[in-house]
Amino acid sequence: MNTTPDFLLAIAAMGLAAFACRAGGFLMMRYVPVTPRLEAALKAIPLAVMIGIMAPVLARGRFPEIFALVIIAAVMRATRSDFAAALSGVAVVAMGRAFGL
Amino acid sequence: MNMQPPAPPTASDVTFTRAGIVAGLIAGQTLAAGVLVYGIVFGVLASEAKLTALEALLMSGSIYSGTAQMAALQGWAHTRLLLPAIATILIMNARYVLYGAALRPWLGTLPAHVTYPTLFFLGDGNWALSMQRRASGEVDAGFVFGSGVVMFVPWLVGTAIGVLVGSAIPDPARFGLDFMLVAFSMALAVSVWRGRSDLRAAGAALVAALVVNNFFPGGWTIVIAGLTGALVAYVTFDGEART
Repeated sequence: MNTTPDFLLAIAAMGLAAFACRAGGFLMMRYVPVTPRLEAALKAIPLAVMIGIMAPVLARGRFPEIFALVIIAAVMRATRSDFAAALSGVAVVAMGRAFGL
Repeated sequence: MNMQPPAPPTASDVTFTRAGIVAGLIAGQTLAAGVLVYGIVFGVLASEAKLTALEALLMSGSIYSGTAQMAALQGWAHTRLLLPAIATILIMNARYVLYGAALRPWLGTLPAHVTYPTLFFLGDGNWALSMQRRASGEVDAGFVFGSGVVMFVPWLVGTAIGVLVGSAIPDPARFGLDFMLVAFSMALAVSVWRGRSDLRAAGAALVAALVVNNFFPGGWTIVIAGLTGALVAYVTFDGEART
């Protein structure tokens, strides 16, 4: 694929679309009064999204990854460090794969 | 840093300071390693699709979303049609509409020249990290900007490395690096978990995510999980302000 005007145009259009997503929800909420009930809904989004990110891994159900999630929860509870927790999970997955699990 | 006794943050407390930006730059470091590797993966795919380094960097710099770029790249190689490419980006990035909405109570009072650049640099990892900090009382919105920028730079560097070095790069999955975002999500989920009051929304989000993942894997899982959690929290709201 050589650089063509239509590809550059496509990149610009896709960039705009991506920014529209990033700014869209924020902009939309400008016209919606944030009631306590709506604020409770907005506050529930982060945890729900984190669950959504983990869902494909849970559905695949491979042992090293599921075990890693358990380890991450334990390390997070013990150390309160997301850094340490995430890295120990990655290490568990890497070791599991090294042993062909 | 104000040393007042901890109180629930209100809109008027919100700041955007250099100290907040630096705190974000530091807190985003771990995630940045994963983003670098992910950028390399995109760069390799882009070079296999015969993109030049400039084209790959333009894509990474303007779209800044790994899954969306990979999907768009595949679609473009087949059809070279503009509308499907735009639709792909909108679907894969629909979750950012939720992310932005959730940021409104925090960033809403800041001027546009601060909020829109901050939103431009928004990624999954730095948004999740920021929301976790917000839940534990953070008022400085500079954190969102700093943790976003610290992931944008390795995304571009990774893309460049991937295009230039191509498939000579060892498989990042061997080191478990593809697991980084999932690992962070688990750690942050444990951190923002407030107990029994979260159970219904979280459980509903999990069920919805598993169902969607089964039938339409890809961009929709996160969106539906987020929407379901928000909807259940909205419907079951019992009138008590929870912090």
